Amino acid sequence: MRHQPAGLIDRTFPYWSLLPAVVVFIVLSLYPLLNLLMMSVSTYRFEGGVEHTTFDPMANLRYFGEDPGLRPAIVNTLIFVFVAVSLELAIGLALAITVSRVSRYKGLIRTLIILPILVPPVAIGSMWRLMYNYDFGVFNQFLSVFGLGPVNWLGDGRFALASVIMVDVWHWVPFIFLILFAAVEGLPSDVVEAARIDGARQAQVTRYIVLPLLRPAIAVAFTFRAILAFKTFDEVFLLTSGGPGTATELISLHLYKVFFAQNNLGYGAMLSVTVILMVVSFLLVSRRATQGGKEA
Amino acid sequence: MHDRLHGLLKAATLSIALAGAALAPASAQSVDVGKHTPITILINASPWYAGFEAAVDLYSKQTGNKVNLDVTPYGGMLEKARNAVRGASSPYDLLNLDGGWTIEFYEGGFLKPINDVDPSFTLPKEMLTCGNTHWWNAQKRWRTPDGGKLMGVPPNCNVHIVAYRKDLYDKAGLGAPKTYDDVASACQKLQSPPGLYGFVIRGERGNPIRYDFSTFMVGHGGEFVANPQEGDYTVTVNSPKVLAALNQFIALAKGCGPANFGAIGQADLIQLMASGKAASVQVVIAAWSNFEDKTKSAVAGKVAAAAVPAAVPGQKPGVVIGNWSFALPNNATAERHKAALAFLKWFSTAEAQRAYAEAGGIPVRSDTLKSDLASKPQFAWMPAYLASVEASVASLGYAEAAAVEQAIGLRLNQALIGEMSPAKALNTAAAEVETIFSRSGRKTGKLPPLPE
Amino acid sequence: MGRLSLFQRIFLAGTLAMVVGPFLWILMNSFKYQIDIYQGTWIFEPTLTSYMDVLFSRRSQFTNNLWNSVVVASISTIVALTLGTLCAYSLHRFRWSKWVSGGILAWLLLFHMIPVITLVGPWYLIFRHLGLYDTLTGLVLTHVTINLPMTIWLMMAFFAEVPKEMEEAAQVDGCTRVQAFTLVVLPVVVPGLIAAGVLSFVFSWNEFAIALNLTSRATATVPVGVAKFAQDFEIQHSQMAAASIVATIPAILIMFFGQRFVVRGLTLGSVK
Repeated sequence: MRHQPAGLIDRTFPYWSLLPAVVVFIVLSLYPLLNLLMMSVSTYRFEGGVEHTTFDPMANLRYFGEDPGLRPAIVNTLIFVFVAVSLELAIGLALAITVSRVSRYKGLIRTLIILPILVPPVAIGSMWRLMYNYDFGVFNQFLSVFGLGPVNWLGDGRFALASVIMVDVWHWVPFIFLILFAAVEGLPSDVVEAARIDGARQAQVTRYIVLPLLRPAIAVAFTFRAILAFKTFDEVFLLTSGGPGTATELISLHLYKVFFAQNNLGYGAMLSVTVILMVVSFLLVSRRATQGGKEA
Repeated sequence: MHDRLHGLLKAATLSIALAGAALAPASAQSVDVGKHTPITILINASPWYAGFEAAVDLYSKQTGNKVNLDVTPYGGMLEKARNAVRGASSPYDLLNLDGGWTIEFYEGGFLKPINDVDPSFTLPKEMLTCGNTHWWNAQKRWRTPDGGKLMGVPPNCNVHIVAYRKDLYDKAGLGAPKTYDDVASACQKLQSPPGLYGFVIRGERGNPIRYDFSTFMVGHGGEFVANPQEGDYTVTVNSPKVLAALNQFIALAKGCGPANFGAIGQADLIQLMASGKAASVQVVIAAWSNFEDKTKSAVAGKVAAAAVPAAVPGQKPGVVIGNWSFALPNNATAERHKAALAFLKWFSTAEAQRAYAEAGGIPVRSDTLKSDLASKPQFAWMPAYLASVEASVASLGYAEAAAVEQAIGLRLNQALIGEMSPAKALNTAAAEVETIFSRSGRKTGKLPPLPE
Repeated sequence: MGRLSLFQRIFLAGTLAMVVGPFLWILMNSFKYQIDIYQGTWIFEPTLTSYMDVLFSRRSQFTNNLWNSVVVASISTIVALTLGTLCAYSLHRFRWSKWVSGGILAWLLLFHMIPVITLVGPWYLIFRHLGLYDTLTGLVLTHVTINLPMTIWLMMAFFAEVPKEMEEAAQVDGCTRVQAFTLVVLPVVVPGLIAAGVLSFVFSWNEFAIALNLTSRATATVPVGVAKFAQDFEIQHSQMAAASIVATIPAILIMFFGQRFVVRGLTLGSVK
């Protein structure tokens, strides 16, 4: 460490602890963010290898009304995010509390549980598609043992979205688990022990002491999981490409088709902004809902 | 793995043979392209990649010119190609572009016309036309050699063929299918789900169904747009011809395929054929190697290829090209352009194409396809491919292609899975496509709606 | 803590089976020939050809991809965790005005919401301009950027669990603010640091879109390498499975040792 009076380092601690992250982040995020906002109010044309930009927010807005793919994409995304994230939160939280009470092999169990997030998303999509296969897939093989099925997991509009959600839950429960498990492990043990001595039963300890203390961690896990869920792309793209019909069309898939496949940068950027607005509203509504629940 | 070893062995023996040939004065086919700076090629991983790699090795060996290959997942090709041409200087000297993407690159002025680099360069006459997607007429905004400039050289002219189980067809006394009616009657004889499906075709939403349906549509004389090469973008998706084609397509896909006919994609289709569950499939030639490798296929040696069947008996089959094209990015130096063109010049020779084919590539010269190779069992697909490719036409040759494909690809899928009647699906698609064209300022309109 | 009830045991065993099952299935497929994968057979002749192809074939370059991923994920995790933890502590502990702290946190969150495909274009242009295209440095910088929001927010949540009295007591005992942070607070949030570090590592390890755009042959990472097996006309499931399995091994090892390092470093420090 530099030989300086400890006082100076200590006095400036609030600043030098904050600044590096903020500087790196601003430098690398400012241009893409401004660029995105610019794109969303412009139309683009390439000529002679040069980009021509026209400021024309109305042109992009007009697409909203004329885009038949938008409504199913928004509806499906909301269902997908709500169901998938709720399931993940419930399972992840229950797992975190259960595993924290295990006395042996805790490390091993934790490693096993996080395996799904280590598999590259492209492999998850391709492998689950095989597992869902109508003729050869492991699920229909399993069902046939009991004389059931076969189920048309990805080809039937009634099951396709649920099948996609199932993959998402498998993939992302580890995310919630990791955060909440750390939060449970980080709880001051004396609090919990004290409660136990008072004769509180396990369920009551969980309900009235552990859960309230976990609130900040749950909120962050929920928030970040919800954000990622709104952006879900790779797995769905490889599993169904949004079909059959529009059964699994998500906003991120739609954005990909417009921004990337059609190379419509202006409207694509506007869809990107739409995703942001959807996430913000979703987070605000869920915050209102949970706080309302708390008051009740 | 076996395949690759095989390929390498073949390439090795071939190079020895070629080295011998080079000593003899009779090597008239070899071209001297001169010494050039190293080039980097953006190329996708694909079943024919091994063939391309072997050809590149031979090029380096013969000429001493160095070639770097940036092998990229298919899903990342377009992004990398766009990045390359939009920056100040392209990291690549040659871009392998999917036929569907070419218009964006032509119209944006991102590519160097070949004859701007070397005015004397012409494609050999044996080269397949590949739907002429490597030509661009900027005035007409159309891909055609008529008044157009040469923009690239195709490494692969991908077209559909029908792969069928020769053993099952023989046993049932069936000949190679020549029409979709033949396919349907063969299906009726062989169909016994879930053990064996008579005929499988892709019904997955988007490009898969749009592309596979197009052989039916073009075979019926239908098209998406009236006469785009002359600027008439009247939408003809909801013509009676296209409706007839769609009914035929749905009957086959539903009646002969598995229960998930509305979600069958490329991988599912290959899986069904390779595992012996399909008696026949309609598939692109580039996927052929999946059926002939024993580690990938339970039916190796039992599959034969037929050219695309006619949709209407007595009429021409509708073959739609889905090729690739090697192109030169504009934002590179003259020296790099020359080096890239030298490789293309060499790659178009019969000698290079033979090496390419022998190591697993799909050659683009008719003489290679008609050579002694065609009589070897592993190249038994060559005649069917040649017949298909010679009848092939390009499709979606306009800047709005991706949007049009997405609109049509969704409605076709909805008709297939029964969410909409075929007539309603086509009427809906027609209205959407008309909107797309009118927004981009084309002269457009649409037919009276089909009775729903 | 106490023992598990029967219900909890069943729940744990069931969830573990469902979580691990598909992974084992992928493991099984990595030893199959493609045709056995297609047919969904359970009894098959195991083979190592997929592993050989993934690791040693000229086209695949997977060992190279692995090394790049190890470098990028490790360094970007260390940087994001260090900067993020410091930043989170500063925001949590010191009295920044609502505008500063709220502004920073909101920006972090907002940036995290942007779909990645609309970010990579500008980044490509910046890095090409700076000469950082096709370098691991460029990729590390972007991965730090995408991981900072979650790291900072997570660490804020974990710092919130630490009773204020602990720090106050430490300062009463004569600790400076820096010492109170390193010797008292950090050891308490070790589980949080590990969780944030693991997640940061995993997101960098599996990040595809940016890596694809900012790298080429020599600098490509694992997800880009694995995606090569999903071709337009053929998905090489056996190689993809083998590559996925191979890729998890260094990831687990690095996370295991990284975690030990954090635990040792911080808890030993607190004892001193």
